[in-house]
Amino acid sequence: MSFRNFAIGLTVSFGLAWFSVVVLPFFKLRELSPVSFEEGVDPKSGIYFPKTTGRVVDGARVYAENGCYQCHTQVARPTYAGNDLKRDGFAGLKADPDRGDTRRESNPFDYVGLDFAQIGVTRNGPDLINLGRRLRATYGDEADEHLYRHLYDPRLDPAVASWSNCPSMKFLFEKKEIQGQVSDAALDVAVEDGFQIVPGPAAKALVSYLLSLQHDDVVPSSMNYAPVVPGNDG
Amino acid sequence: MATLENDQDTILRASIDRSLRHPVMFFFTSGAAWLAVAILLGIISSAKVHSPGFLDSCPWMTYGRVTAAHQTALVYGWGCQAAFGMAIWLMARLSRQTCRNAGVILTAGHVWNLALSLGVIGILAGAGTGMPWMEMPSFAWMPMLLSYIAIVVGSMVQFKVRPEGHTYISQWYLMAALIWFPWFFGSAHLLVHGFSGSPLGAAGVNAWFRSAMLLMLFAPVGIAMAYYLVPKVLGRPVYNYSLSLIGFWSLAIIAPWAGMQKLTGVPIPNFLPYLGAFAAILFAVPAAMAGINLLKTATTDLATVNESPTLRFTVWGLIFLLIFGLASVLLNLPSVMRITQFTISGYGYDVLGVYGFFSFIAFGAIYFIVPRITRREWLSRRLIKSHFFLSLYAVFGIALVAIFGGLMQGVGQETFTSAWEDAADRVVPYAVMTTVSWCFLLVSNFFFFVHLTLMWLRLGRRSSHPTLLVEPHHHDPHGPEGDIDNAGPAVH
Repeated sequence: MSFRNFAIGLTVSFGLAWFSVVVLPFFKLRELSPVSFEEGVDPKSGIYFPKTTGRVVDGARVYAENGCYQCHTQVARPTYAGNDLKRDGFAGLKADPDRGDTRRESNPFDYVGLDFAQIGVTRNGPDLINLGRRLRATYGDEADEHLYRHLYDPRLDPAVASWSNCPSMKFLFEKKEIQGQVSDAALDVAVEDGFQIVPGPAAKALVSYLLSLQHDDVVPSSMNYAPVVPGNDG
Repeated sequence: MATLENDQDTILRASIDRSLRHPVMFFFTSGAAWLAVAILLGIISSAKVHSPGFLDSCPWMTYGRVTAAHQTALVYGWGCQAAFGMAIWLMARLSRQTCRNAGVILTAGHVWNLALSLGVIGILAGAGTGMPWMEMPSFAWMPMLLSYIAIVVGSMVQFKVRPEGHTYISQWYLMAALIWFPWFFGSAHLLVHGFSGSPLGAAGVNAWFRSAMLLMLFAPVGIAMAYYLVPKVLGRPVYNYSLSLIGFWSLAIIAPWAGMQKLTGVPIPNFLPYLGAFAAILFAVPAAMAGINLLKTATTDLATVNESPTLRFTVWGLIFLLIFGLASVLLNLPSVMRITQFTISGYGYDVLGVYGFFSFIAFGAIYFIVPRITRREWLSRRLIKSHFFLSLYAVFGIALVAIFGGLMQGVGQETFTSAWEDAADRVVPYAVMTTVSWCFLLVSNFFFFVHLTLMWLRLGRRSSHPTLLVEPHHHDPHGPEGDIDNAGPAVH
């Protein structure tokens, strides 16, 4: 075989795959076409456009920089790929007081506004795509307080203290001398007298981002590929 | 016995080795130093999985950052530099051309190391990008790509101007790796850093990139080196030549499609993970073809394999290549994938590829190449043996244990009726084993690094007889590995 044919062979075999699984999908996924609710079928009408609030971009950067994705994923896989829809709180709430069963698989709109979808590598810790939802359901308005304490030292939380191997993120917090009153933001953790622990800017962004992870809104039925079958969910 | 032609041949080989001495030794020694860094970070990272309080007051040592730095040091510090050293030496030897740009290669090697060091410091300082295996801050990739091009452009020219005649199968694999690497490395980084607004697309590119590093850089360079070393040291032809051709083209056709199976169940077009899984499973074909072909060659003379440090490492590297291919099949079957997708199996698979298969062959190559370019022999067979056995235990202790542990962890994750705690608890024993194994590797590579540094300082034995892994009184002065060819009668 001549060098020319060899080079052509290599270029074609690589180039074809490169173009069709890398370049083309990358640019296709850049322009998501809007999906509409269908009247009569869906409970809503208009165009599906999920709202996200919070310091998503800043917080996602803190999440990325500190390697949270090494142990936490952010995706609720369809049933063919895993049991995420059935695991409590991963894909939504099984019995939301207002909306009932909110569980659904992830869709491309869940990642809009980010530069990189933090799908994650392993699940040494639980999935987080609906972390904000389940913390709000459990702790209500104290969800952020709970999350700050968790980030400060995960083993302060009695629910996970015995087994969590989540690293403590104490460096995202500041130890400050109490001047006058104790700050509203001060954490309820042990600290020497006259001092308080308050979240730093990175911790605030991170908590804001984590609480924004509530991806269980109603989607158009055309996108709801694998609705949870009632009675078949453990 | 030395005819004129033989003498000329010896002189040519000696001058090729001489021309490459500094760049190749630079890549091997700095690679070994990075390996030590990677192992230290690996111990810290793994220890934190079972003992989260370890070093937890230091932000630079937080688990996420250390793990990223560990993998970056392993892949780009050790893996890539070992690959560069092997590739430029092997291409020069097989193309029978001396290196004419050693200064450029050395300079580029320093640029690579500088960019990488800043990148790893960036990760530890908290400026990582959050994309697995592409974590270095965005300033790093462009100088790395440019220095890569400066390192290998000479090898491409050498291939182009080589004498007429036979093209070795190793050259095919090397040329493929030399062409593929800048293509996938450059385009993947350009897409994720240059074009925003495609979060899922970027995650897909990243998943594909990680697979490409393993299957399209480390696999071809490792296989190329093994196709040279096994027949060369044994002095026998490759078992089946057409098998090696089919193996090469099947790798070229299959490997570029793999990678996106890591995103199974993620909302990207469905065909991407399916194609990725299919290709990853089919990777077993080129892996088996190269592995079986060369192991068949090696089994013709097992005594020599056992005595030669080069072949001991290379043959085990090939065995790990077969296991790597087998693991590609097992872990990517849809029924297993749903269990192991987000478990430590993935880490085990990566370590099996980078450390089990690729590094073993790289160590074999280093034990072969270094005496030739420094014109000194390895000092101690005990150091080589310790390096070999500790490395072997460690690969089993990290890679295979993590792959199995991931299965157990995945079963825990999928059992949605029991609490998450159960899945989390299942990781702990395997993490302890991983920490212990990385400690083995630290000791092992301490021996290796010291030995290599002594060789670099040209403190090796002044002898033309290779260091073999047998007791001295057993070995024939003209041992099976033969004279070091550049110290032959023609060179004084």
